[in-house]
Formats: sequence, C-alpha cells, structure tokens
Amino acid sequence: MAGEKPQEPLLNVRDLSIEVATRNGPARIVDGISLTVDKGETLGVVGESGCGKSLTMLSLLGLLPNKISVIGGSAIFKGRDLLAMPHRELRKVRGGEIGFVFQDPMTSLNPVVRIGQQVMEPLLYHRNMSRAEARKRAGELLKLVGIPGAEERLDNYPHELSGGMRQRVMIAIGLACDPALLIADEPTTALDVTIQAQIVDIVKELRAKLGMSIVWITHDLALIAGLVDRVVVLYAGTVVEDAPVDVLYENPAHPYTRGLLASIPRLKDEGAEKLSSIGGTPPEPGRRPAGCAFAPRCPIARAECERAAPALEPLKGGGPHRVACFAAGEIAEAVA
Amino acid sequence: MSDMALKQEDVRGEPPVNLWRDAWYRLKQNRMALTSLVIILALAFIAVFGPWLTPYDFLSQDLIARNQPPTWAHPFGTDELGRDVLSRVIYGTRTAFIVAISVTAVATLIGIVLGALAGYFGGLFDRFVMWFTDMTMSVPQLLLVVVINASLKPPLARWMEAQYLETLNPIYRNSIIIDFVLVFGSMALITWPPYARLVRAQVLSVRNRPYVTAARALGLSTPVIIARYIVPNALGPLIVAVSAGLGTAMVLESAFSFLGIGVNPPMPSWGNMIADGLRVWRNYPHLLLAPAMMLALATVAFSFLGDGLNDALNPKGQK
Ligand SMILES: Nc1ncnc2c1ncn2[C@@H]1O[C@H](COP(=O)(O)OP(=O)(O)OP(=O)(O)O)[C@@H](O)[C@H]1O
Ligand SMILES: [Mg+2]
Repeated sequence: MAGEKPQEPLLNVRDLSIEVATRNGPARIVDGISLTVDKGETLGVVGESGCGKSLTMLSLLGLLPNKISVIGGSAIFKGRDLLAMPHRELRKVRGGEIGFVFQDPMTSLNPVVRIGQQVMEPLLYHRNMSRAEARKRAGELLKLVGIPGAEERLDNYPHELSGGMRQRVMIAIGLACDPALLIADEPTTALDVTIQAQIVDIVKELRAKLGMSIVWITHDLALIAGLVDRVVVLYAGTVVEDAPVDVLYENPAHPYTRGLLASIPRLKDEGAEKLSSIGGTPPEPGRRPAGCAFAPRCPIARAECERAAPALEPLKGGGPHRVACFAAGEIAEAVA
Repeated sequence: MSDMALKQEDVRGEPPVNLWRDAWYRLKQNRMALTSLVIILALAFIAVFGPWLTPYDFLSQDLIARNQPPTWAHPFGTDELGRDVLSRVIYGTRTAFIVAISVTAVATLIGIVLGALAGYFGGLFDRFVMWFTDMTMSVPQLLLVVVINASLKPPLARWMEAQYLETLNPIYRNSIIIDFVLVFGSMALITWPPYARLVRAQVLSVRNRPYVTAARALGLSTPVIIARYIVPNALGPLIVAVSAGLGTAMVLESAFSFLGIGVNPPMPSWGNMIADGLRVWRNYPHLLLAPAMMLALATVAFSFLGDGLNDALNPKGQK
C-alpha cells in the first residue's frame, strides 16, 4: 500500500522502555523501541521468542503483568499518549479503539460463557447497545469473519468450536467496535498450517472492507509476506531493522534479519522443522551485552560492535529503510 | 467455507474445557453419582417435608409398645420409650440436613471471603490468612469443638436464662438454639480452612488465565471481569468440595451428638440415636440399624456425588 503518507501516524511509539523487577533488581526487557503505524497500514513485528513483542503491545493498553512496568517513552495514538492516560480513558480505548487478538484461541475465550455473549460484551460496554442490537451485530460479525452458520454459533460455547473458528471469534471480538487499530499477537501460532493461511486471508478481506490499521506480531516471516506493508524486526528489546516488506525480503540489511530470512524453509512441506541458521540464543533480559545485543551471535561482528550499540538509522540514500548495524551499508551493497 | 470444512477441523480432538453443560453430561454418564444424587434429593425431600411425612410425633411415647421390632404400625419399630423410630429417623434427617447445610454454608462463606481476598490481594494479608488457616487446621477438630463447647456453653446458657427471666420469652428457654448456634457455629469455625485454601488457589490460577487478560483488553470493568470471568471459572472445585463437605459435616454432627456434645435429646439426631441404640443393640438391633443405615446412606451418597462432580468438572483429571 504505497501512497501519500499522512502527516501524523495513527500510532507513534517513541523510546518505549519496559523493565521487570527481579530479585537482582530491575532488568530491561524492552529498551527504547520506537515504531509507527500509519492509518490503514499493516505493520509486521517479528523477532525470536522473548524479544519483547508481546510486552510492547500489552504495555500500550496498560495490560502488563505484575512486576513489569513501563519506565519511559510515549505512545501517541490519535493525538493522545496511551502511556500517560488515566485508567478510565484507557479502558475506553481498549476494545473500543484498539482491538486485541491473542495467540492462543483455546484459552483466550471464557470457557463458561457463550460465544455470542462474548462478542456482545464490548458492544454492550463501548457502544451502549441494547442486548437485542448487540446480538444482531454479533451475528453479523461472526458472518463477517467467515464462520459458517454464524447465527446458530452465537449460542455455542467455545469448546464446541475448533481452534481456527475460535480464532475467528477472537478476531470478531477484536473488531466488534470498529477499532482504528487491530493488534494481533501471533494469532496463528497455535493453529494448523492450512488454517493459518485461512486466518491471514480473512484478515486481508476484513482490512479491505473495514480499512483498519493492523499490527501483526509473528515469528513467521513467510506467512505474512502478502499481508503486511512494513516490517519491524525486534531483537532483545530493540528495533534492529524497519523496512517496507518487499525491501526487507529482497535487501535485508541487518545480519539478524538475514538470519531470520535464511531460516525460512524453501520447501514448505509440513513437518519440516524451522531451520535456525542463527547459532546461539538471544540474551536474557538483564544480561544483555554493553554493545550491540546481537554481537555475540553475529557472523560479522567486529570490535566496535562490542563497545557501543548502533543506533537505528536510515540506510544510505535515506528512505523508509532503517537499520541498527555498523555494517549495514556494506551488507546492503554486497546483497545488491 | 462449507460446513464440511468446519467438521473436519473439529476432528482435531481438542480437549473439552470446563463447562457446566459438559459437566452435567458427564455426570449423567456416571451411574454411581447419579444414583447418589437421587438418594440425596430423596433425603432432602424427607428433611424438608418431615413434619408432614412422619406417622407419629417424634416425642409421643407409647409406654405399652416399647422396644417393638418393625411392624406395619411402626415400620422401623419403637424405642425404649415407645417412640416411633421411623419418625425419629425422619427428624434425624432434618437435623442432619439443617446442621450440614448451615455448617457448610458458614464455612464456605468464611472460606470464600478469606480465600478470595488472600488470593486477590496477596502480600501480607495473604500470609496472615494462610497462617491462620494452617493454625486452625493443625488443632484436632474434636478437641477444638469440645473446648469451644465447654468454655462457651455455660456462659451462653446463663445469658439465655437471664434473658428469659427478664423477658419471659419462651424462646430463651429453648436449649436447641444453644446447641445449634454454639456447637454448629464451632463446627463451622473448624471446617472453613480447606475452603479458604481452595478458593485462594483457584483465584490465583484463574486470575492469570489468558481470557482474563483478553477481557481486560476489551475494556471490561473489574466487577464484570470478577463476576463473569473469574468466579464462574473458579467455582468448579468449590462445588466438589462443598458436596463432599456436606457429607463430612453430617458425620461430624453425628459424631458430636453421639458423644453428647452435639444435638441433645429429646431432639432426634442420627448420632444420639446411634448412641442410644448401641447400649441395647444385642436385644434390639433395629434401634441401632435404622439411624446407622441412614447415616451411612447419606455420607456414601455425598461422597460418591463429590467424586462424580470431581470427574465431571475436571475432565483433565481423569485417567
Ligand atoms: N510475567 C513475566 N514475568 C517476568 N518476565 C517476563 C514475564 N513475561 C515476559 N517476561 C520476559 O520478558 C521478555 C519478553 O517477553 P515477551 O512475552 O514480550 O516476548 P515475545 O517476544 O512476545 O515472545 P514470544 O514470541 O515467545 O511470545 C521475555 O524474556 C520474558 O522472559
Ligand atoms: Mg509473545
């Protein structure tokens, strides 16, 4: 989705930092993440497990678990800072203006409440609809996300639906109040491969109809290739690369991104384990090296990488492609 | 998407999640539990409508027909004062249910309040409640009841007598009230700890379930989340515990009445009937058998129902 950029992004996260209180004092989990989401844009957020993707998104809605807190930064959404908002107002944003879809559809729906009631809940609260209106709308929503026999499904309990269907219900709930932004935290990770593609398709369809912005968190770069406009790559709580999706695929500038892309199996036969061409594991929060956090695993690390962390800067020639790597220019040239 | 595709997806055999409807379905499959439920409902019916069902007054003595074996006129025979045993057993059922329900209700209430607050707030309050719970559980139940009984009964009785002399209201002469308030109040005070522990553990576990976070992400208010997301999902094990607890409370009541510190004669209780029957069981076994069988029936039924509910509400707990 190229085109004129609106001046003001829908969501503008600046220097977001998150810490967890541990026995040995606070440990930094998210370290100065900045990212933007434009109106109508779909942003992919990728990175290995534990790099802080979920916590970043949860922090925007004030949903961080105990002992974990935002220690700095701002998140301007529609002109207001989500991180400085009074609880009352934030609750109106939750579900009303920002929808959230969670990873595991098996456990993210309340097992003792009927599907219909759960879809109606945000409508009753945010839109002050009557029960009859809300029920009608809930039926429409389930139809919208492609659930067969939508109306009858309203009276089902979550366990009567399959995982894929449940995730559709979650999406329907997330979109119930016509939010400007839908945040989907690995919405397909828990599903079968064939169903993953269905979910991606339905979201594409919904985006065309409703025009909301989307943040799609995933491990799976291949799955979202046709879905997202731009990708932000996180590593150990920092943004290491931020680029339009086609640029990123063709011309990855960060060695970590290249590693991620290389680990996509060429043949998408089922059962094939994801190859990890990056040796080692990301550092635990609180044990991150002083310099570039990726340096210990980086095939091209050099002395300066261990001394200082590279800043996220536009690649030579400017443009929307930004990388945090001292060797970025050289890699880009080598690949091109 | 066709319906077919949906069905195919469904084949993936996901474990069913806790659910009342599901639970009821599984409970119905369990013959023992279902039979127990029927027995309990029948006993409850007898307890509620006892006064209209008994062929005789439980106090009316017929000194000519003492210690009679079962006859058509007295299906369970008569006791040494010529009272109809069937009528007394029925009144004993009433006593058992009143005691079991009130003791369990009070104990559960204490347990829910303390356990939920401890689980929800955590910290120092949690530690205090858990310490209090452990302490209560570490004292032998019988001992605690005897102590409470012995130390509180005389002053309470004196106070009642004084009230009576002042107001001449016969209600203060009713010793049954003392029995119920004191003995069964103290029973509640010793049986709440398991409920508190259970509720606390449930609240702790449910509070962090993904659907609770999802509900918060929808902007729902804390009361709505507690009422619709936390409480119903935390309730299953408590229902199991309450079912088993009712049976335990009946045994406890009978035990205390048997020892003479529970319901006192002439108020019939299975416990004091067993005590009376035990003295003469060689000659008049029916005096022991009738109340003992009722007690056994009730406790076995509650225990099987509890087991059945446990299986029905925790499908994952099954082998
Ligand atoms: N409740 C918690 N208490 C302490 N540390 C936590 C907690 N939740 C997450 N963390 C830590 O914060 C870091 C980031 O977690 P986060 O859930 O954001 O990762 P993620 O990128 O979403 O990973 P995944 O792909 O596995 O979902 C992890 O290293 C994790 O160990
Ligand atoms: Mg995550």
